[in-house]
Amino acid sequence: MRIWRTPVLWLAVLLALTLGMDGLEPLFRLIQPDTQSVIYQRETFLFLLGNHVLLVLISATIGTFAAVAGGIFATRPSGRDFLPLVSQIASIGQTFPPVAVLALAVPVLGFGEGPTLVALVLYGLLPVLRNTLAGLDGIDPAVTEAARGMGMSARQVLFQVEIPLAGRVILAGIRTSVTINIATAAIGSTIGARTLGDPVIAGLVNGNTAYVLQGALLIGLLALMTDSLFEALEKLWARRLAPTVSPA
Amino acid sequence: MPSLDEPPNRVITVLGLLALVLVWVLDLGTVQPNRIVPGTGYGLFAAAGWLGAVTVSAGLCVLMALAVLPLRRRYTLLGILLTLALAALPDLLVIFTSAHLPKDSPYARTAVGAGFWSLLFLLVLMLIEVVGRLRIGRRGQLGILVVILAGWALLIRQGGLDSLSLMREFSNRPDQFLQALWAHLALALGAVAISFVLAFALVLKMMRSEAWRRPVFGVVSFLQTIPSLALFGLLIAPLSALTAAFPLLQSLGIRGIGWAPALLALIAYSLLPMVRNTFVALTEVPEAVIDAGRGMGMTERQLFLQARLPLAIPVIIEGVRITAIQAMGLTAVAALIGAGGFGTFIFQGLGQAAMDLVMLGALPTIGLAIAADVVLSTLANALQPRPAAALPQ
Repeated sequence: MRIWRTPVLWLAVLLALTLGMDGLEPLFRLIQPDTQSVIYQRETFLFLLGNHVLLVLISATIGTFAAVAGGIFATRPSGRDFLPLVSQIASIGQTFPPVAVLALAVPVLGFGEGPTLVALVLYGLLPVLRNTLAGLDGIDPAVTEAARGMGMSARQVLFQVEIPLAGRVILAGIRTSVTINIATAAIGSTIGARTLGDPVIAGLVNGNTAYVLQGALLIGLLALMTDSLFEALEKLWARRLAPTVSPA
Repeated sequence: MPSLDEPPNRVITVLGLLALVLVWVLDLGTVQPNRIVPGTGYGLFAAAGWLGAVTVSAGLCVLMALAVLPLRRRYTLLGILLTLALAALPDLLVIFTSAHLPKDSPYARTAVGAGFWSLLFLLVLMLIEVVGRLRIGRRGQLGILVVILAGWALLIRQGGLDSLSLMREFSNRPDQFLQALWAHLALALGAVAISFVLAFALVLKMMRSEAWRRPVFGVVSFLQTIPSLALFGLLIAPLSALTAAFPLLQSLGIRGIGWAPALLALIAYSLLPMVRNTFVALTEVPEAVIDAGRGMGMTERQLFLQARLPLAIPVIIEGVRITAIQAMGLTAVAALIGAGGFGTFIFQGLGQAAMDLVMLGALPTIGLAIAADVVLSTLANALQPRPAAALPQ
């Protein structure tokens, strides 16, 4: 239970601030004394948080499944031919800055949540793909050989030996991907996705530092909460799953 | 049974088929009456005429044939063909423009369509596959890149692409473009340089005292976790307050928005990859090397300068590479807080729904990131200590 303490703590702070931003009005009034409105009102913070999380969750789910499937395909005997190219794509693709990928989605797909989602999926796929390849390719051939020698089918070797062994590395890839996507979804506000980036952009356009601060605080808290959640998951994986699959 | 023929390549075949389908299904280019109105699309046949359509299709078929026929030198042939095809690819746009751009309307412009982008992308993937199979080294790769870019530069020089909307946007603001380039480079490279010095100092401290390690790593990874937009936003208020309190800072150009918060945020982001790589590089030099040096009577200082540092340099440069790529992208985001650079075009273009202006910002941003990657990985490669040279046998 102790490993969940940090993420739960961050979540509590995040939710408290999301729901109780109005209570901090006097504080924001100090920062921005000369304007009428000091609390962002166009949408509720809860809606923006929900939409932000939803975008990241959907893109992470699609991206992870696609990347893991691609990684498995490229490391099977039937797909080995594609391995060099796929791993090149995974590393070259990450050279492309996320903001440029987001911007290039607009001429093709227009404004809104849709193009943001496509950019998030495409970009978020890469770290997972790279780590899946590294994880599966890094398994000692002697281990899979032994599993096959025990009479396991190719399918059993994959799901009972390879995936559990590569799991931690894949999980680390998902963590990187989600961290990047939380940041990119915030920038998605500039192409019409309603996320926690909205108050920041609105504040920058209108010169309202209080709005900027509200958006920035919530985005930062969301990122910290998610990061600590992944840290907890990684610990859990190390503690519970690792010993059962690799008894020394 | 050993055969002299190289085995057939399925990857090129699949990519070639995909290219053939996409280039016929998607629009090769569009013609717009002016900057904002969406254009009408033209498919391969309509855009490039039967000659162009046949050349493209036949070219792709030849590539696929070369990939599967029993050949001894398939990859060399494929490499040459792909390089030439990529160098000549923009000719398609020239043919398209000269056939379809209305001569009488000065605001009309042509835009590159999804079909052309797909063709370009898939040809590049095929080339990457071939380069990998041939195990072409750094120099060869750079040579191929130069040939392709020279082909494009020649076409642009001749003015064949002037009516392309991207070129129009550029020729409307060449000064702004240069200014954006310098601002972008200054900000990104400045942040990389400053964080390099900072990281090096931190790592030296961490090497001497164990107590510094955990807190330093904790702080730099914390900073890396905060999303860029949030960090830029969070720095505005404190910097505004600071400059309000100290007018001297204001006279130096430091304000709540602009280059100052952007530079600070970029440095903060650059610290993690820089510290991590420098630390790993300097601490994970093999013990045997250090022992041998000590046995030769080297002082700690000599050990550091003559053994640790030279061995660590490739890994340190790898850190600089990661940092530089990241900084090129984040600098584009910094345009939102008024820091200048190519992000200005991106966000202006998004605001005006002028997609070509968005491209004029996004494509150079990608170009700079790739350039940083190429330059620094070449440098790391060149500085790799060669065991054979160090230990003549």
